[in-house]
Amino acid sequence: MSTTHLLIELVLMPLVAFVVGLAMLLMLRKIGARLQRRVGPPLLQPLFDVIKLYSKRTQVSHGLLHEAGIVVAVGAYVAIETLVPVPGMNGIAEKGGLILLSYLMMVPSLGLALGVGQCANPNGSIGLSRAMTAMLAYDIPFMLVVFGVAWQFQTTNLVELVAVQQAGGIATWGIVENPLLAIAGLFGLQAMLGKQPFEIYVAPAEIATGPMVEMGGKFLGGLFVMQSFQFYTAGVLYTTMFLGGGENWFTFLIKIFVVVAIPLSVAFMFPRYRTEDMVRLVWKWPVILALLGLVVAVQ
Amino acid sequence: MNDFPLPVRAERSNPLARVFDELIDFCRARSMFMLHYCTGCGAIELPPAMTSRFDMERLGIQPMVTPRQADILLITGYVSIKTLKRVILTYEQMGSPKYVIGICSCTVNGGMYWQSYATAKKLNEYLPVDVYIAGCMPRPEAVIEGLRKLMGEIKAGRANSWERYFREYDRYLAAQQNLFGPNWQTPTDIIGEARDYQLYGPGTEGRHTELLQQHQVPLQPLRMTLHSDVEKSS
Ligand code: SF4
Repeated sequence: MSTTHLLIELVLMPLVAFVVGLAMLLMLRKIGARLQRRVGPPLLQPLFDVIKLYSKRTQVSHGLLHEAGIVVAVGAYVAIETLVPVPGMNGIAEKGGLILLSYLMMVPSLGLALGVGQCANPNGSIGLSRAMTAMLAYDIPFMLVVFGVAWQFQTTNLVELVAVQQAGGIATWGIVENPLLAIAGLFGLQAMLGKQPFEIYVAPAEIATGPMVEMGGKFLGGLFVMQSFQFYTAGVLYTTMFLGGGENWFTFLIKIFVVVAIPLSVAFMFPRYRTEDMVRLVWKWPVILALLGLVVAVQ
Repeated sequence: MNDFPLPVRAERSNPLARVFDELIDFCRARSMFMLHYCTGCGAIELPPAMTSRFDMERLGIQPMVTPRQADILLITGYVSIKTLKRVILTYEQMGSPKYVIGICSCTVNGGMYWQSYATAKKLNEYLPVDVYIAGCMPRPEAVIEGLRKLMGEIKAGRANSWERYFREYDRYLAAQQNLFGPNWQTPTDIIGEARDYQLYGPGTEGRHTELLQQHQVPLQPLRMTLHSDVEKSS
């Protein structure tokens, strides 16, 4: 592959991720509105929100780390997007793999931690400690699932993973070969996206959106962008591991939207668990399922 | 509607810049995050305006929980003097452009609390109010109508009254000192912000800001102590 081709892909992949992610943000709000029998926001609402937030006249900053933290959080996701293969574009996915991705996916939370730390708002610190606890909770089933998938297909390379599943058809998809891991993965996804019942660190009515409490203007805009990347990445990663990636953009988009719609729909039917309940729950069921799936994969 | 006429934004001569300004104004109008400071009885009309019957979200209006994230400050009823202090603190922490909506007759002129010793009468004297929605209490339709009016003003680039708080800070501070006493002080440095964002006007500083600067104590972070520490030291 020529250098220019690669460069174009590296620019295009995060851009596509951003646009699709914004559509997912819209989907989140539409699902919520429909479940509450409302009309919901217009089609371009997430875009209006982001432009408005960036065009605020006074941007209240609490210091250098506050700004750098957001850059780290968004930048890490931009890096992640170049490492997940999408139809027609592989970027540098060949060089990465599942292990690198599972490390990189922790970086945004750490970036956020840097930024929030400087705001010195007690609500922010509480939210942050909860976010880190949540990460501790969902990372164990997540790593087990990643390990299981890697063992099942004998590779950690995402491009190979997609190729194997597409060559064999639906019968070789991760979800058919190892449904236990797929269910554990879905459970972990709910916690990873921080949606109810695991919404412990946002909790608007309790700790005033936790880490976001001091974020206004471009900072909140950055977090909106980050969230759209997060939805997209979660959808693509799950699709790559369990649903055979995308043969073309049409089926690929359907798959990732369906995957992300599941946790988002579940979210609106639940209240929130307490932190210790969440940890107990996430360390119990998805871990048991993932361990069983691992046994299936190893045999 | 307003005691003081609104300043109108000067149009830029470059046609591209004008298109850009219009796009920004359009997005600002179509995406309003509101912080509702539920001061009085009028707050009861907001849940129906937000939920399935009237659904504000289809206009791009959604509730936010902290002043930093919000664009609109909704004051939903009479403001007692103690509450007004908190309202002003909240308002000063919001990022501009910011808008204030006074819902209920009590925010217009004190309403049925006119004779109360503990209630601030005209909200407009203490904060630049963009839209008043009169009524005791206004129905959700009226609330949405008021928000639509604000939307129209923002889209036309006329909703600039937040600038007035920076440009004529002395006048607002005068009213605040009059009510809360000469020792009144907030954690936000309005004069500094006005300088920083080129919003400094002839009315930013004056007699009252001088009084403020005389007694102003620099802000210090609160010392965090556990309860047992306090007991030991005392
Ligand atoms: S106008 Fe009427 S409903 Fe509104 S705060 Fe005053 S007394 Fe209450």
